[in-house]
Amino acid sequence: MQEVERFRKRARVQHWWIAVWALILGLTGLFLFVDGFGAAAEGGGSRLAHRIAAICFVAWPVLYFFMNPRNSLEWLKEAFTWNKDDLGWLQAAPSYYFGGPEDVMPPQDRSNTGQKLWMVVVIITGCIFVITGFFMWFLKGTISPETYQVMLLFHDIAFIGAGTMFLVHVSLAAFHPRMSEALRSMWGGKSSVEYAKSHHGKWYDRISAGESAGESS
Amino acid sequence: MAEKAILYDATKCTACRACQVACKNWNELEAVETINRGTYENPPDLSPKTWLKMEFREVGNNGTLRWLFTRRACMHCSEAACVKVCPTGALYYRPDGFVAIDKMKCTNCGYCVDFCPFDIPRLDVNRASGLGERVTKCTACTTPGLNRIDNDALPACVKTCPTGALTYGNRDTLLTTAEARVQELGGNARLYGKDEVGGTHVLYILDDSATTYGLPQDPKVPAAATVHDVLKPVGYAVAGVVALGLLLNVMVARARIITREEEK
Repeated sequence: MQEVERFRKRARVQHWWIAVWALILGLTGLFLFVDGFGAAAEGGGSRLAHRIAAICFVAWPVLYFFMNPRNSLEWLKEAFTWNKDDLGWLQAAPSYYFGGPEDVMPPQDRSNTGQKLWMVVVIITGCIFVITGFFMWFLKGTISPETYQVMLLFHDIAFIGAGTMFLVHVSLAAFHPRMSEALRSMWGGKSSVEYAKSHHGKWYDRISAGESAGESS
Repeated sequence: MAEKAILYDATKCTACRACQVACKNWNELEAVETINRGTYENPPDLSPKTWLKMEFREVGNNGTLRWLFTRRACMHCSEAACVKVCPTGALYYRPDGFVAIDKMKCTNCGYCVDFCPFDIPRLDVNRASGLGERVTKCTACTTPGLNRIDNDALPACVKTCPTGALTYGNRDTLLTTAEARVQELGGNARLYGKDEVGGTHVLYILDDSATTYGLPQDPKVPAAATVHDVLKPVGYAVAGVVALGLLLNVMVARARIITREEEK
């Protein structure tokens, strides 16, 4: 089977780094969000874990941004660049993901529209988490109680949004028969040429023409 | 069980602060070293070591000066914001209406600190780690091991009050007493706590407006706490529906794709 490199090692490490800390953050956050899970947070140990995970979650992307601003900006540009193929993809996606025809899907770049949507959700909710979390952690007692209450509210709203989209992400990337090589390529870096052609036609054409594979996740 | 309450009659109070000392004494709270700030009011604020504090106010009125005293401690609300936002049930209502603390359950989140409309609970935690002293506030002498109420003793503050400004008893009885006292005082006198935040279990007889005594005129559970009540079920519902939808999606997609492959 002919293979093509989808994600370089650095991009994959970054993806799993973020994923692990985000999972710990989500789980320890859930202890305070869900009535009945509170016992797991007693004593404050899970808060300490939440804070350590928060530092790790933020540290790498920030460091990476300063070390590789060009790649980082390219990744951001990729997430926020949407055209008519993306709208067409969104319209056709419900049928496609329920096993409908594949040939009606507009050709996709390195990330398809759904993946870009997830990237946008991660970027936006990530910023909300970091900003509101910063206020709640470092400025508690300095900011007014009203400000604190609003920060907590937005932290929770972002959690509902990101948590729900996370379920979609995992279901599609790991369990959906249509995305059979998504998880494999984010783990080992490679996918079959056939998969790359059918799922990421625009990107495959570009790299076939000599451009490099994706740098970031 | 009948609801209990503490009645504080500000017009009988001399601000001797015996209640403040008795609270510290009974609850084994150390004295805190402070500096002279030019007022009898001391220490400057409530803290994990000070659950009850007398406040002193000088209020000018047509060339005369009035010295007003306010008892600052937990109001033991019937609709307590702290109980509403506490994620673990560490803050809870006792059958007699007092708001007690189960320290073992406290996570030091401090939501109660920022949601209390009276600014009462206090935390002393390390800023970086969030670990430290768990939430503190007046428990109406119901702290385990130091429980006076369940042993038919008066709360320490009430027991020590030399002027009768503090009394303890059934809330209904105290309301009747308080209303009669307000009638007797006349003028600007009023009862505070009868209906505020669902009715508090510390009632005040004031000789002027609540704000003159440094109390919120219309204390309420913050709107953000109410939004949370809605937000949580919404969160569960959204996540539940999406999870079910995804399960269905994967099952249908697999079945259709396998069927198509078999047809080939």
